[in-house]
Amino acid sequence: MKLNRRSFLATTAATTAVVGTPMILKAQPSEYVLGASLPLTGPFATAGQLVAPAFQLAAKLFNDEGGIAGTPIRFVTEDSGYVPQNALANYQRALATEGNAMIGYFADSTGAMKLIAPELKGENARIMGSTSFASELANPETHPYQYMSGPSYQSQFDILLENIAAEGGKSVAFIYSNTEFGRDPIEHGKATAERLGIEVVLEEATKPQGADIPTHVTKLAQSGAEYCILQGYVTGVWPQLIGGARQFGLPTKFKGTFWGMEKIIADRITKEAGPFLAGYEGVMPYRYFWDREDAPRYQQYAALSKEMFAGTPLENYMSTWAIQTMCGLEIAMKAFRDTAEAGLELTADNIAEKLTNISDWDTGGFFGGPVTMESNSIRTGRVYEYDTESGLFNPKSDWLTV
Amino acid sequence: MINGNLKATYAADERVLNNSYKQAFVYGTMLALAFFAAFANEYMILIACKMGILLIAVVGVNILTGYTGLVSLGHGAFVALGAYTVTMLDNGLTGIIPNQFMFFVVVPIAIAVTALIGVLVGLPSLRVKGLYLAVATLAANFIVIFLIEQDAFAPWTGGVVGIDTPDANLLGWVLDTNREMFILISVVAFTSLLAAQNLIRTRVGRAFIAIRDRDYSAEILGISLLRYKLTSFALSAAYCGLAGAMFAFFYSRILPEQFELDLSLELVAALIVGGMGRTMGPVFGVMVIVMMPEVIKVFAAYFTGGDAASARYISPLQEIAFGLLLVFFLLKEPLGINHITDRILRAANRWPFARG
Repeated sequence: MKLNRRSFLATTAATTAVVGTPMILKAQPSEYVLGASLPLTGPFATAGQLVAPAFQLAAKLFNDEGGIAGTPIRFVTEDSGYVPQNALANYQRALATEGNAMIGYFADSTGAMKLIAPELKGENARIMGSTSFASELANPETHPYQYMSGPSYQSQFDILLENIAAEGGKSVAFIYSNTEFGRDPIEHGKATAERLGIEVVLEEATKPQGADIPTHVTKLAQSGAEYCILQGYVTGVWPQLIGGARQFGLPTKFKGTFWGMEKIIADRITKEAGPFLAGYEGVMPYRYFWDREDAPRYQQYAALSKEMFAGTPLENYMSTWAIQTMCGLEIAMKAFRDTAEAGLELTADNIAEKLTNISDWDTGGFFGGPVTMESNSIRTGRVYEYDTESGLFNPKSDWLTV
Repeated sequence: MINGNLKATYAADERVLNNSYKQAFVYGTMLALAFFAAFANEYMILIACKMGILLIAVVGVNILTGYTGLVSLGHGAFVALGAYTVTMLDNGLTGIIPNQFMFFVVVPIAIAVTALIGVLVGLPSLRVKGLYLAVATLAANFIVIFLIEQDAFAPWTGGVVGIDTPDANLLGWVLDTNREMFILISVVAFTSLLAAQNLIRTRVGRAFIAIRDRDYSAEILGISLLRYKLTSFALSAAYCGLAGAMFAFFYSRILPEQFELDLSLELVAALIVGGMGRTMGPVFGVMVIVMMPEVIKVFAAYFTGGDAASARYISPLQEIAFGLLLVFFLLKEPLGINHITDRILRAANRWPFARG
């Protein structure tokens, strides 16, 4: 063949096509990987240490069910110390180590989600869940690959305020930690309260730890609020605030959101300081672990927990934090499996599309009924009340969807 | 006897890289960085950028603590000021200054602002020193973070929820990937290091050292403590401001919690581990402080496979191992890692003769 410019270009193009094609057609990995950053050390180590076993349970459960269309799944968990930059480094390291086998990631804070979000593009995009309920993340347009395993804090405030309105409440105080976590739903909560005809008589920001309790309680007393919603606390401050108010003789009814609804914390407070949490209510997106009669998935978890964590407290109880993580992993698995069943490659775009379109999904009992993803979140929850005698959170309302 | 190191002129004696080993080390490092930028994966680039940003700030702390002998536990505040000033200016000047020139406007202003605040924070250094000064500078950290978090400034700073940061734009070249940012950060870090090294060889630098060695002797010699202590504060704050600017361009979002006391302590720790009052001290210190936890993590992941059950127990151990390593370094080399490389270079220089 005579070599001229045209034949040279044609030969080069053909050679490139032949040599390059195998690189374009990604081989299906022998196992899929889901990475995770957890606060195993640092200020939220208590939560991280309770959530970590959920990954062991999930690995066994999902693989026993056949993984993703027969391909097993492996979890890679690392400590972030609750520092967003560490979570970003963990994500990048997992990406470098696992490559295309890694199809999803689980982060441990709102900060980490926001820091990693801009990295999720092109080849580096992965589906990402987290422990965060930050309202900003529930937006498929700005965060197409990130999802929430429950209602955002704003939706949780809506549920609480609607519950207060239903009880005939007229005034409410918002006490929140002076953090992103604490402030997230406050403006939205004010708008909802106004719409429902409830007056917000106090907005009080506190330190996230070691807050000046007497001052905040005095302000609450001066405001004369019938109800008080607490937001942005995990293990500390909220119990002390309620204790301080009870000592002061305030009749205010306290309500909390997801992170203030853990039985382990409430039980510990009751044991150490007495039954002052009696009547404390809050919104919880999921069923508690003991309420598993109508929750076949929880029954599976319970059977596995007995087998895997025998001799430890985890044998009989799964914390709300671990349930949230399990729900996040179940949503991701649903999207992975739907994508694989549709015969599509497990790319972030394909998975995100399946995830966004999850509708009328029977989760096996996490929620009151079938759920639908709306703005990459599940806007449902229920109000529970803590009973100091039984140490249980009992349902106070039906399942509410906002 | 040192061989092959004859200095025949004053100029040769005064060169920064005054022997072939130093030259080989520096040029080799530059070459390695170029290869790194081309071939390293995203994770390595991320860690390298973290190191570069921290390095610029530690070089600043070195000027103050290592060369002038003034301890500061508030330099995290200057990094915050740099980062926030760049972001606020970029947002405020969009539409007024063309994007391609923005970098060259906002970065110098951010540096100037931090230098000015540095002078204010440095004022107590005229009356107190040592631990007392350290405590006085602590206030800077708390005040700056407090102001950033205030609702009144939230439209500009983002308040506690943080604020999205712009991409660096160098005359139309938008540095929107970590790899591109690595090139910028490594050039800036290298230049900063060189500038600090040269500063110390000037009249100003020698005044700093005189103050460090005995401040009243320096004053008797005619060195104005007011002028030079405040200059030292301004310069070191300016370096931290530059580091903050790089921080803002590198990360997509900045939050006040990223600049709290931990950062100030990290800067001082990196300097002590690396070697105070030495040009390469910050480099070695930053390598240890940033890389060591990552190396420990990679090793741990290698042995455990990232399994959650092991991670629960290994993670706290990693923190302990990191702490013990720092103690080990300080016990074995109180003068910092720089001292080890000094000995190696000296041995290489004198080989095959005495290696002391």
